[in-house]
Amino acid sequence: MHLIRTHRTFSKLKSILLRRHSQAALIDQNEYTETPEYPPILDMSIQGRKLRERETMYEKIKQLNTVEEKQIALNMPRYYGWPCVMLNEDKIPYNAMPLVQCYTRTHFIPTEKLPDSYADTASTADEITKEVKAFIEDALCIESEGVEHNFSLSLEKPEPSQKEDALAKCIVRQINRIISNNLTDKVPHIISTQVDYDPRHEAFWFVGGVDIPDSVLNWRKKQSWYKDRLEENLDRPVQYIGTPFLTLRNKLPLKPIIPYSEAENADFKVPKFSYSPNNVGYFTNFRHGTNMPGYWPGDYDEFGMLSYHGRGHILDRKESFGPEDNLEALHCQAMKASFGWLLAQANYQGFTTYNDLTYPLATQTVITNGQLWSFYAYQLNTIVMHNEQMDENPKHNVCFGTKPMKLYDSIENGKVQGLNEEVLKTLVQFYLNSPEEREHDLKPYLGKEEQVVADIEDDRKRCWLEDRYKHLVANRPKHFLPPETYLWEKIFKIQFNLRFHEKKRRPFELDINPYKRRLNEHLPPYIPKLLRKYPRSKKKFENTYYPDVLNHK
Amino acid sequence: MSTRWYPIYQRGNPQLRVFLPNFWMKLVRPLPKQLPNTVSFQCSMEMTKYDIKNYLEKIYNVPVVDVRTKITMGKFRRDVGRGYVVKDDDVKYAHVVLPKGQTFEYPDLFEKSKDDDEENMKSLEEAKKSFKNYIDRNKDRQDVPSWFSI
Repeated sequence: MHLIRTHRTFSKLKSILLRRHSQAALIDQNEYTETPEYPPILDMSIQGRKLRERETMYEKIKQLNTVEEKQIALNMPRYYGWPCVMLNEDKIPYNAMPLVQCYTRTHFIPTEKLPDSYADTASTADEITKEVKAFIEDALCIESEGVEHNFSLSLEKPEPSQKEDALAKCIVRQINRIISNNLTDKVPHIISTQVDYDPRHEAFWFVGGVDIPDSVLNWRKKQSWYKDRLEENLDRPVQYIGTPFLTLRNKLPLKPIIPYSEAENADFKVPKFSYSPNNVGYFTNFRHGTNMPGYWPGDYDEFGMLSYHGRGHILDRKESFGPEDNLEALHCQAMKASFGWLLAQANYQGFTTYNDLTYPLATQTVITNGQLWSFYAYQLNTIVMHNEQMDENPKHNVCFGTKPMKLYDSIENGKVQGLNEEVLKTLVQFYLNSPEEREHDLKPYLGKEEQVVADIEDDRKRCWLEDRYKHLVANRPKHFLPPETYLWEKIFKIQFNLRFHEKKRRPFELDINPYKRRLNEHLPPYIPKLLRKYPRSKKKFENTYYPDVLNHK
Repeated sequence: MSTRWYPIYQRGNPQLRVFLPNFWMKLVRPLPKQLPNTVSFQCSMEMTKYDIKNYLEKIYNVPVVDVRTKITMGKFRRDVGRGYVVKDDDVKYAHVVLPKGQTFEYPDLFEKSKDDDEENMKSLEEAKKSFKNYIDRNKDRQDVPSWFSI
C-alpha cells in the first residue's frame, strides 16, 4: 500500500526507476549516412546457422592465449573423448597409401637423391663421412655381434619385429653419438641440439569429406529433417601415436625444402579418399585428442630436426601383401610420423587443426633396422582439413622419400663388408642441415605475455589449468564406467516396448546421448563449510577455468 | 572338413556315400560405399581366416591378399502369432581384400527376368483395364451376376 502511494505521489520517480525501453534512447547525430548501410545478409538455413556456430567456435579457439588452453578447447565438446581414427605408427594395413596421403594431405615424391636444398652440404658431408666411417663400422660390429643383447620382450607384438627394433635402437643410438660427436666443433647447431630417446609423439586433427558410418546413415533416414542431406559429411577426428627411437630438436626451425608459394602448386594435389577408414583396416577408439611432440609446452627447443623410426612392423605383415606394398607401408609410416610430429609442434606454436599454419615447417625422418635405411624429408604447409576446408584449402604438404638402401652388405668375422658411403653421406647431410632464424612471427595466435599456462599470474588458474591439461593428455580411464545400454534394454525397452510400465530413468528413455556430454559438464570440487570464507559464504563449489569456446546450449 | 560323425556301416546300407563339408561361403551384396577391391561373403561359423583364404585360393583360384572376419548378431524379432521375442542366428561375414588393381562388381542376377517382369506388368495392366471396363459397363445393373449378359 505504502509503495503504491509513494509511486502515485512521485509519479516522475516511477518513470525514472522503471525504464520502459530496453536501451536508453541515444540521440545520435550521425544516424543518417550518405549511402545506406545494411546489416550483412546471413544464411538462415540450418546448415548456415550450424556453420556459423562452428566458425565462432574456431574463432574463439584462435583467440585463446595459451597452448594448453587451446588443447583443452579442442576437447571441450566431448566428456568421454572423441571417437578417433587411430593411426598408429606401426600398424599399416594393405593398400593404406591413398588414405594416409589424404588424411595427412601429403603429396609424395619418390626420389633417388635428396632434394636440391641439400646440394651445398654435399662436399662437407663427404669429408665427414670419411672421418666417421671407421667408428661406425666398429659400432655396427659391436652392436650386432660383439654384445650379447638380452632384450625384454612384451607379449603384445610378435617376437622377430621386437628384436629387430631393439637392435636397431642400439645401433641408432651409437651412430647418432658418433656423428654428433664428430660434428660438434664443425657446425654450430649440433651442440645446442636436444636428443630425446623414445619420446612420446602424438597428434590430433580433424579430417573432413569422409563418408558417414552406416549407423549414422540409418539414424538419419529416420529423421524427417535430414531428408535432403542424408549423405552430408561429418568431421572425423584422427589421432596419430608413434614412438621414434631417437629425435633431435633445436631452438630454431629448419629451412623449408621448397618455397612456401609452391604449397599451392596444383601438381601437389592429393586425390580425395572418401571411403570410411574401417574399409581399409583403420579402426576408431574413444580418447581425448592429444598433441605431444615429445616435450611439454614451454620447452625452449621446440622444432624437430631429425627422427629415427624402426621398421620391425614390416616383419609382422602378411606375406601375401608383397614387397611392393611393404615399400608403400614404409612411405606411409614416414608420412604419418613426419606429419604427426610437425603437427604437434605446430600446435605448440599456437596453431590448431582449425587455424592454419602461416609459415612452413620441415623435418627429416629416417626409417631403419640398422642395415636398411630409408630417408624422408617432409615439409608441412597446411594443417587445416576439416569438412569446410577439405575441398577449399589449396595448400598441400610435400614429402620426398627414398627407397630403403643398404648401409652394409653383411657382417662377417667381426668386420663390416661393403659399407655404402652414399647412405652414410645422406645421413650426415641430414645432420648438417642447419636450422635458421625466421623473419616472421612464429607464434601469431598466442598471447603476447601469456604463451603457456606457466606464464599465467593467477595462482589458482595456473595450477588448475596445468592439472587439467596433464590429466586430459594422460588419457587415463574415467573414475566411473562410461555409460552403457545393456543388451536386454536394447531388446526389451528400445526395440520392443515390453516394459512400458517401468519408470523411465535411463538416458536413452530421456532422449539424452551421454556421449554428447561436454567436458565441463561435471560438478566442480566441493568446498566444505569449514573452509568457506568467513562471513557466511554461500559458494559451495570451487571455480573451474575451462576455456569458454562452446556455444551455450 | 566335416564335423559329422561317420555313421557305422550296417549291412545293407549303401556303400558309397558323399559327405558334404560344413564349410560354405555365400557371396553377398557389398555394403554401400565399399572399396572396389573388397568382396563380402557370409560363411559358416567354424571357418577361420586361413580357411577362408584357402577355400577361395584352392577351389576358385581367387587371389586373396587379406581377410577380415566379423561375427554380427542376428536380428531380434517378434514371433509371428505368439508374440514373444525371438532371435535369428548370428552370421559370420568375411571381407576379402583382392590385390590392388582388381575390382569386383556384384553381378546383376536378375537382368533377364527384368524383361519378364515388364511383360507381366503389362498383362496385369491390361487385365486391370478390362476389369474396369466391365465395371463401368455394368454400372447401372450392379446386382446382376456376370454370366447374365447379352
